[in-house]
Formats: sequence, C-alpha cells, structure tokens
Amino acid sequence: MPPRGRARRSAALALVGAVWVGLGASPAWSQDSASDPNPGNLTLTGGIDFLNAYLFRGIPQDDTGVVMWPYGDLGIAVHSGDGALKTIGVNVGLWNSLHTGQAGSDGPTRELWYESDFYATFGLGFGKGTSAGVTYTAYTSPNGSFNTVREVSFKFALDDRVGVWRVAPRPYAIIARELDGQADGGAEEGTYLELGASPGFPLAGVTVSVPLRAGFSLGDYYEGVSGDERFGFFSVAGVVTVPLSSMPTRVGSWNIHGGVEYVRLGDRNAEILGDTSKVIGSIGIGLSY
Amino acid sequence: MFVTYRVRRSAFALMAVVGLMLASAPAFAQDKPDPNPGALTLTGSIDFLNQYMFRGIRQNSTGIATWPAMDLGIAAYSGDGGLKSVGINFGTWNSLHSGDTGADSDDSGLGCACGKLWYESDFYASLGLGFGGGTSFTTTYTAYTSPNNGFTTVKEIMFKFALDDSSRLGKAAVKPYIAIAREFDAEPGVGQADGGENAGTYLEIGFAPGYSASKASIAFPIKIGLSASDYYELITPTGVEDNKFGYFSIAGIVTVPLGAASSFGAWNIHGGVEYQKLGTTTEFFNGGESNQVIGSFGIGFSY
Repeated sequence: MPPRGRARRSAALALVGAVWVGLGASPAWSQDSASDPNPGNLTLTGGIDFLNAYLFRGIPQDDTGVVMWPYGDLGIAVHSGDGALKTIGVNVGLWNSLHTGQAGSDGPTRELWYESDFYATFGLGFGKGTSAGVTYTAYTSPNGSFNTVREVSFKFALDDRVGVWRVAPRPYAIIARELDGQADGGAEEGTYLELGASPGFPLAGVTVSVPLRAGFSLGDYYEGVSGDERFGFFSVAGVVTVPLSSMPTRVGSWNIHGGVEYVRLGDRNAEILGDTSKVIGSIGIGLSY
Repeated sequence: MFVTYRVRRSAFALMAVVGLMLASAPAFAQDKPDPNPGALTLTGSIDFLNQYMFRGIRQNSTGIATWPAMDLGIAAYSGDGGLKSVGINFGTWNSLHSGDTGADSDDSGLGCACGKLWYESDFYASLGLGFGGGTSFTTTYTAYTSPNNGFTTVKEIMFKFALDDSSRLGKAAVKPYIAIAREFDAEPGVGQADGGENAGTYLEIGFAPGYSASKASIAFPIKIGLSASDYYELITPTGVEDNKFGYFSIAGIVTVPLGAASSFGAWNIHGGVEYQKLGTTTEFFNGGESNQVIGSFGIGFSY
C-alpha cells in the first residue's frame, strides 16, 4: 500500500477531459438548436465517477477501496465574436474525491471526503482552434489528509478537428506553479509541466477517445530522497462515452462513460506506490446542460 | 468564550427568502426569451454576514462569515392531477470565516486551531412534491461537514410542509410552513448541532410574508425554532437539560434585481437585518447574551 500523507489529486482529469471531448463530439449536441433546452450563456457540467485508484499527476493518493469523484462546473460564455479573439469564457467548479479505503473512511481519519478542489478559469479562444486559459485551483482536504495546495496553471491547446487528420490529436501543454503548499510534500513549491493530446472519434453511436499525457517537473515538483526528478509519469487511456439519448432532453445531455488508464511512473512516484505502473479503471455518469 | 465547535449553521431563512423573491422578481416578468427553458435551474449566491447563527446556535464570535452557495433544481414532473409537481434539488452551502472559528482559529484555539478559513460545507439533496392549493411537502437530507474540523459531521433528515397562499390572499399572503428535522448517526458529543448527549429533533414554524414592487422586493421572514427532543441540550451541574425554546427570529430583507433577466440569468443584490431572541441553551452558546442582531449583504442569481 502506498504512503499517502500530503500528496493529492491524480492523473485522472485525463479521463474527465476525455469525457468532455466525448460530450463535445456527441451526436446529441449536433442537433438543431431549436431542441436546445439551454440556449443561454451559462453551461452546467457535472458527473460522478467511480475508480479503483487515484493518482494525482502520477503521485499516488489511494489504491484501496473505491474512489468516487463527484464534480460540477459552471461555464460562462462571456464573449463570442468573429475577430481574432473568438471567445472569452469563465469557468468555476468543484471537484471532489471520496474514498472508502485508507485515505478515507477505512483510514485513520475515518472520514470519506479526502479532497475538495475549487477552481476558476479564464479562457480565451482564438482562430484555428487555438486557445489559452489560466486557472487558479485550491486543492483542499476536508478529512485533513494533506495541507491545502494553491496553484495557478496556464494551458495552451489546439483543437484541430478541422485539420488534416481524420482523428485530430488535439494537443495541449500545461504549466502549473504551486503558490502555497505542495503536491509532493517536499521542501519547495514546485513547477509542473504536462504535455498531452486528446484524440477522439465517433464510432457506432458512441465516442472513443484515447488521451495521452506526460508529466514533468520543471522545478521541485517531484521531490524525493534523491532530489527533484524530472519525469513524473506517462499515461495512456481509452475512454468510451455512450450518450443516454440521441438528442438533448429537458434535463440536458446525459451519458455513461468508462475507461481504462495505464500510468507509467517515474522513480520517485514508483517508490511511493511500490510499483512502476498502475492500471486504473473507471466508470461514471455525466451531464452537460 | 462560547462553544462553537461541534455546532453549526443557521440561516437558510435568508437564502430561502431570496429564492422566493427571485422566483417572483419582476425581472422574470419581462418579455425577453427565457435563456433556460429546460428543466434544470441553477441558483447561486454569495453573502457576507457579521454573525453566523445556526438555528440560534452561535458559530463565530469575531470576523466576517462568507456564504457561497449553489443549488441545482430539477423539475422532474409537472402535471394537472393531485400531484402538481415533483422537484429534486442538490446543492452545496458553505461558510467561510475570517474570525475565531476560521482564519484566526490558530489564535483562538477553536476547531483545528489551524487558521483555515473554511468552517462549514454542507451537501443536501431534497425531493419536493407540489400539490393543489399551493401546498407542498419536501424531504431533505443534509450532511453538515466542517473542512477545518470546527465540528463533527452532522447528518439530518428534514420534512417540511408549506403553503403558498399567495393565490388566495395576494399581497396579504403569509406563506406558512412547518419543518421537523431529525439528526441521525450521532453519538454523545458527535454528530449533533448542540454537541450534546443525544441526537436531537428540531421543530421550526415560520412565515415568509413579502411584497414585490417593480424596482425591488421586500420580505419579512418570521420563525421560531424549538427542540422536539434533545436538540437544545445544555450540560448543567445537575445533568443534561433539554430546553424546548431555541430561538425566535424576525428579519427584513430587500432584494433588488440587477436589470432584466438576460442570457446570463437573473441577478440581484440583497441585504437585510435579522433579530434573534435566544432561549436558555442558545443564550449560553452566545456568551450569556440573549439577543442577537445579524446584518447581511449579498449577490445572487437564478438561471
């Protein structure tokens, strides 16, 4: 069993991200806007996922019991235009991790609620599918398993669905800087780099996506006994999203989704986990409205 | 210094009133197309208060309490029979404290004594049934948790009967209700609002008269909180006594719409003053003071 302590949330926004991709490509959203139950500027997204393990950017959090991730996001479309700046969006949301295992109700705290994150994002969309966003996140632990980590991150992404590839890779890069508190429980606040891609395609009424990503320390993000390790993890996943209706309903577009993620860890994270790799299975229900 | 850890929140009253006023706000009477004709409704707010009283039980003695809240309502059914509507709501309600039970707790020694702001986070889910004549019956499960360990988690189930008499009485409507809430999964000193010996049962009777004009709305919620059993326990030299009377509250709240409803929903600012008269147990928790005045100001939206 891996040590937990101060570390936090994992590798798994990949799956959530993949579901977003799935929602975006869902046939339900391609229907005539006359059937849209919510033509306004606010969008609600939420869901709950169930997993067998939780790694935050490769840092082991818990692989005992069941991990549950209820989350909700409110998106505000502030601006939409035809100039160089196509869109401005603001998102605020909560993401939570509930654990029945050692990090939660079966552990020393006896309390289920391991993690609660609040985030706010300001995003800009440009031409040719490029976008940039800045996100502030406060990672907190209601059951006191780790100290609050505050972080600002910058994401650059390219949605090349209209590009030359039939299966667009949708590459992105994230740089995150810890402002206060640390994911690795180390000596210094760290800087994190993530490079990834989220290719996805529709297949027989469902959406299949294959998110790939790699996490690196640009400085003090994966501190261990032998110093700061550059390579944190590499992950590849397969996620299937099945819409629960062919068109948006009065209660939005719902889906069930599930997937498997393979995570290959760097030495520092592998030492904590006690293994160099981890396979994570997940299944969940999602909503977009 | 009074006891604040293990006890919790008050004030759904203000939020409920603001919710009522949003529903009847003139902004919604505009001819603009509804930005959200579907069956989901999102409501949110943030309020700032000088004092946080949970059903008369004081939660902080210094600093400011900030209440961010969000609710998702699902209109599951609407019909013309005996059962007019079925609604489901989920939500989160939070209380952030800048004072002795929050950011200053490392100085006060209360709760976790860790200087963490986030005193309370509640999750709730409710099933509401609407019947003819404006009557409704709602069942709500609430988990009151404290991220900064200010109190132990309290789990509660509540049943509320309400009458919206505005169709019959118009501007004279008083909208009476009665709610009964039962704590469960509790132990002595754990999982209870009063931090007492036994899980309690709470009874609330209230009214929410109000008046809406073109530029603003005003409401005067009145309520009384009682212990049906073990809800306001007080440990005395002779044992534990359960005091029936918890508190009486009357408030005045003004809500001003921020323009007409738009594609971003209907926004408002609101503010008010609440007076509470406390019973024996709640007076003890309030440091021996039997009166409490609460001022609040906030921003809300409904979409």
